[in-house]
Amino acid sequence: MFFNSLAFAIFLPIVFFLYWFVFNKNKNTQNALLIVASYYFYSCWDWRFLFLLVFSTFLDYFTGIQIEKSNSEKGRKFWFWLSISVNLGFLGIFKYYNFFASSFAEMFTSFGFKVSPFLLNVILPVGISFYTFHGLSYVIDIYYKRIKAEYNFIDYSLFVSYFPLLVAGPIERATHLLPELKVKREFNLEKAKEGVCQIVWGLLKKVVIADTCAVYANAIFDHYQSMNSFSLIMGVIYFAFQIYGDFSGYSDIALGVSKLFGLDLLRNFNYPYFSRDIAEFWRRWHISLSSWFRDYLYIPLGGSKGGLWMKIRNTFIIFIVSGFWHGANWTYIVWGFINAVYFLPLLLSNSNRNNMDSIILKWNLDSVKVLFSILTTFLLTCIAWVFFRARTITDAILYLKRIFTNGEFSSQYLDNERYNYELLLMIGLFVLVEWNNKTKVEPISGKKSWLKMALAIIAIIAFGTYSDYKEFIYFQF
Amino acid sequence: MKKFLLYILGIFLLTVLIAVLLDGLYTYVFMQSRNRGKIETVFNSTAKKYDVVILGSSRANNHFVSPMFEEKGLKTFNYGMSGGHLFEATLMLKLMIERKYQIKNVILETDLNLAVDHQAEGVASFFLPYIHNSETIKKHFKNERDFNTLYYIPFYRYIKYGTRIGFREAFFTAIHKKTNTLDNLGYYPLEKNKNGNMKNNIVNLNPLPHNKYYEEIKSICKKNNIKLISIMTPMCENVAGMDYFDKVKKAYPEIYNYENIVVENKYFASCGHMTNDGAHLFTARIIKDFFGK
Repeated sequence: MFFNSLAFAIFLPIVFFLYWFVFNKNKNTQNALLIVASYYFYSCWDWRFLFLLVFSTFLDYFTGIQIEKSNSEKGRKFWFWLSISVNLGFLGIFKYYNFFASSFAEMFTSFGFKVSPFLLNVILPVGISFYTFHGLSYVIDIYYKRIKAEYNFIDYSLFVSYFPLLVAGPIERATHLLPELKVKREFNLEKAKEGVCQIVWGLLKKVVIADTCAVYANAIFDHYQSMNSFSLIMGVIYFAFQIYGDFSGYSDIALGVSKLFGLDLLRNFNYPYFSRDIAEFWRRWHISLSSWFRDYLYIPLGGSKGGLWMKIRNTFIIFIVSGFWHGANWTYIVWGFINAVYFLPLLLSNSNRNNMDSIILKWNLDSVKVLFSILTTFLLTCIAWVFFRARTITDAILYLKRIFTNGEFSSQYLDNERYNYELLLMIGLFVLVEWNNKTKVEPISGKKSWLKMALAIIAIIAFGTYSDYKEFIYFQF
Repeated sequence: MKKFLLYILGIFLLTVLIAVLLDGLYTYVFMQSRNRGKIETVFNSTAKKYDVVILGSSRANNHFVSPMFEEKGLKTFNYGMSGGHLFEATLMLKLMIERKYQIKNVILETDLNLAVDHQAEGVASFFLPYIHNSETIKKHFKNERDFNTLYYIPFYRYIKYGTRIGFREAFFTAIHKKTNTLDNLGYYPLEKNKNGNMKNNIVNLNPLPHNKYYEEIKSICKKNNIKLISIMTPMCENVAGMDYFDKVKKAYPEIYNYENIVVENKYFASCGHMTNDGAHLFTARIIKDFFGK
């Protein structure tokens, strides 16, 4: 059940109605309904993996309590590592086993040994990376005594399986979401209206920006050998907006839906393509994952403290692991590596926190510099996106090489029976709208809300891509 | 909560209103279409006189060289539509009759398309802008599975078939941007394609014993005194299941088998589509056999 499907358009009002009109007695009934709805939502993909979700929930609930109850450090460590190893074990088996097995086999083959690895014939359970990270953060926080264990199984289950964030985040923290689940939610008109605006904006990003760009990006990436330099540049720009529209659109819908239920989720995107350097980009892109890795990997590793080599090591670890989190493919690892290379000079020169203020442009030289930094950051991001999108590293290198060697910058007719430049105007308009609203969560609410809502609906209806129906990219992670 | 429900109702009504307005706007634009495609041109046309009208799929569109008919004094247009089935060919003929076209002969490509009696969505969608303006189109689509949603939900058809009749097509129609579909009197010549697939497997393909749309075309022609010439057109050399054409002949004895008139691969751009040279050879033979010219 996708957020942009008819099934969800029926599912959501039913749950909304039941939540506020039937199960609104207290927070327990509200939470119980949301759990049932969440499990139903998840089982629409594959009910067989529901057991994995339930098991993971139970494991972290139980080990969390045991960690807190243990009197000895040994006991705490036992329950802590049990939870960590089982959680990562599941993730490893379902997501990474085949990758490691085939990579080792390839390595042995290159040394002259013929190896036929045993590969698992399983599909990746939807959302496993997301709910596993929910559980991990909870157990780690209890172990380090940042939070108390949750004894109410219903509340904890909902924290893990809450349907808006179950399959593609944002990756919530127990410190943030659990307190919200511990109290009865009261209906708030303004919050609900904001939620609707955010849902509509997210939907626009998905069906108008992401899915339309996808048609062009696919046509270019899938036939990059026959594309000219201009098409290849357009291809990566289209992909940059496809992945942004897709994932931030999903996050917006998730946040908007949650507001309908009186819950606030962590913000996941903050106009990342307006970043002035890569450090700022990572503070604005997939914020919940970046901060997760910062808090649960980078800082425990020593962070930016310690010597030069320690800083370099930690930076590469966090970015490479972040890349690997996205998928079991060398392309994601290289994508993470490239971002680490981008980030390192900023860290070493202590300028990674230079651009913490908001962007203000005026008619002066400084503003030109700011614009130049934004464009440079976007360019660097796009180069990295080529590795993220390409099927193999070789494809990515050849793609980039062809941009510089082909030398033709003319219009080109693509396989999707469209010209390579056709979406430039749409992307330009989208960037303009985002730029003018970069201090807000979404551009629809506020003054002249009805007019903006009408324009958004027109865009969704008239310019959305529906016939070439696409699921959300981040569902595969 | 009451205020919120009214707010949601407002958004719903706004969406419906926008859909109705967009539907009207798109339909108006497509009603003005004259030079984009064959379907729009026929729909927005008035009475015409033809000695020969050619109908069928791409195997009609790429195989019957209509200018060659004209050279022999036969006023002809190739209305073959790439990707189309007999569903669309039938509707096209109905629209022509409705517009009082005077047609002496219909050449109908009837071979692989006899195996299906459902619509080819990609082509059929071009009729949909006119579904509220034509009883003929409405009736033709009436028994289709998604008729109700396409007919009653405003703008739904433009959303569902966005790549065909969506914003891009409406925009180009509005600015009267021409396509090459109507060039060469509707005939679309193909060149030799070195990457063309020169193999085909039609072993599992069987002609339907009573293809309802073929039967309908026969009956329309009979009723309007149009001579129907049904023809099987050539395939390349490397085809598995060539007995398909014998099966067609057995089921429909009136269909002329011209499959083996052009056989050499050098005359094919892909296995089911002849090059311009092949089409010229083929058309010359058709003109000689059926029109004695």
